[in-house]
Amino acid sequence: MISERTLRNLRRELRRSLLAKIGIAVVVFILLMAVFAPFISPYSPGKQNLDEARLPPLGFSTAETKEVTKMENGSVVIEGGEVVTEERTVYTNATAAHPLGTDGNGRDILSRVIYGARTSILVGIFGTSLAALIGVLVGLTAGYYRGRVDDVLMRSADIMLAFPSLVLAIALVGVWGQAQAPIPDPFVVTGLAPAFRSALGFTTGMPDTVVLPGTVIVVVALVNWVWFARVARGEALSIREEEYVKAARALGASDGWTVLRHVLPNAITPILVLATIQVAAIILLESALSFLGFSGADVSWGFDIALGRQYQSTAWWISTIPGLAIVITVVGLNLVGDWLRDALDPGIEGEGGV
Amino acid sequence: MSLSRFLVKRSLQGLFVIWGVITVVFGLRFISPGDPANVLLPPDVDPEVRAEVIAELGLNEPLYVQYWDFISGIPLGDLGFSLVTRTPVAARVLAKLPATLELAIAATIVAIVIAIPLGVISATRRHQPADYGATVFSLVGISTPNFWLGVMLIIVLAVQFDLFPTSQRPIGVDGIVLLFVSGSLGEAVDGLTTWLWHITLPAITLGTYFTALITRLTRSGMLDQLGQTYVRASRAKGLPETLVRYKHALRNTLIPVITVIGLQLGTLIGGAVITEAVFAWPGLGTLIINSINARDWPVLQGSLIVVAVGFVLVNILVDALYAYVNPQVAYD
Repeated sequence: MISERTLRNLRRELRRSLLAKIGIAVVVFILLMAVFAPFISPYSPGKQNLDEARLPPLGFSTAETKEVTKMENGSVVIEGGEVVTEERTVYTNATAAHPLGTDGNGRDILSRVIYGARTSILVGIFGTSLAALIGVLVGLTAGYYRGRVDDVLMRSADIMLAFPSLVLAIALVGVWGQAQAPIPDPFVVTGLAPAFRSALGFTTGMPDTVVLPGTVIVVVALVNWVWFARVARGEALSIREEEYVKAARALGASDGWTVLRHVLPNAITPILVLATIQVAAIILLESALSFLGFSGADVSWGFDIALGRQYQSTAWWISTIPGLAIVITVVGLNLVGDWLRDALDPGIEGEGGV
Repeated sequence: MSLSRFLVKRSLQGLFVIWGVITVVFGLRFISPGDPANVLLPPDVDPEVRAEVIAELGLNEPLYVQYWDFISGIPLGDLGFSLVTRTPVAARVLAKLPATLELAIAATIVAIVIAIPLGVISATRRHQPADYGATVFSLVGISTPNFWLGVMLIIVLAVQFDLFPTSQRPIGVDGIVLLFVSGSLGEAVDGLTTWLWHITLPAITLGTYFTALITRLTRSGMLDQLGQTYVRASRAKGLPETLVRYKHALRNTLIPVITVIGLQLGTLIGGAVITEAVFAWPGLGTLIINSINARDWPVLQGSLIVVAVGFVLVNILVDALYAYVNPQVAYD
């Protein structure tokens, strides 16, 4: 499926390109963060503490002018029967307990960034896989059979392409609602993560489920399968003319066998490159849906950016930090995509973005 | 194939896609749980009243009748009635369209004005600081969610430095034109300034992704062209370098760039939806989001049809332009 030569090209390009190394490092880092969230997250992402709301990240402090009760010698000043107030500047300092600060409900932003990675990665991987499954099936069928089948399938792809993906995604999630499937977090239900945490003296009470945003995954796949269909079709059109495919058919191989055994393996490289770029595009799409409040996720980078908006004049970090997480992740994925494309040169164009 | 035959074929394909779009949008209602009568009526309503409302909306007709009613009005500009305001959908969509178009066009202008020079500089000064700067910019630009960029611009430029307003669109291009026509030049200039002042941040927000994308394309296109034989030949016969670069190489680079700009208009409209949400910009995006929240299906359906049909038409136009500018393309 992936030849020795391909691997050699990948290694050579990786040695040559610093950007490719950075990209892989970033993607691996985010993946580890998502997988091991219940081990490394300082707090539960939902744990509120209103006394510690809107703490700035380390290295920053905030000054806020507040109306406070005037005190003199430890007692309230009363003039003319009324409590006297005065304006005073209140400084809030960062604390090491919340290195990235806290949000409007006093939830730890670092913990929410770590758990938010899970939502992005889950939607990115499952959404892309589903899109690839649909698209490759359609594309290979269209390219292999050509003629009328090709016309019907690719015209329906054109119809999908006529809708801007974000608009279609909003409409679909909007009419479908936001079904989510909580699945047990294997690290928490097996007691592995809690044991690790109490051994190190970390706070406990991590959520014992991972919420799989089902509708969002289906919707992002429905709006993005077309790109896979186009690439797979193009590959199938040229591969079906190869001698080995003709030979297989002459020997009496069925269509299904020929496509799976001979066409698909030889089309896999461009599909993999596209898949990398699509994970980035789908993560962006998920964050946009969450930002608009259509994904139903309660721990998601996009959703946290929206939550921070009401504090945009007093606590800039609440919206800023989850956005940086998105940018870093997507830059990493795009760098990996560039690396694969440069090394494998499948001749496809990048596509994606909100 | 001649240009006119190509156009006829392309238009027929376009018509088919438009029919498909309308059919898909019609089908949207059937995948949504609950029926439209629920939007209008309280849950404990008298079944008789309920039946009456359903009949009035035509929801008890056979499916093919409903489909025909839906599709036959569209060529005449009839997109049905809003469930909430009971006004024609077409009028509401038309009223919101200018704001979105203004935003999309402003963003495209921002993108083209910055990206093409940047891409050219980057390609002609390869492996110099300017090139690295442009490359990093375009990488980060295509990776940044535009709604977050919008929020950041608001936090820094609107809240901290108070240079721009955080939201709203107090005047549109139509209003400015009206002021010019009515002859009050001072007011018109004031209107234009206000408009520019309000559209700057949304246009940057929406335009950044495209700026990054077009910078990338221009750079790689220019590098490709500058390596071609005809460029070497023009240099060899003594043409000034500026002429070689900007007349020949750039011109050939721009053809694919224009196609991509056309193809990306869908993404642009998608981006406009969310940009409007960030800046409370009263366009189609805001209408779409409000219609979903209010479960006002006809408005959602009408907006989707207008967006998708517009996109199909623009694509036909881009294809025609492309075929006209570059007769080499095999009209397929």
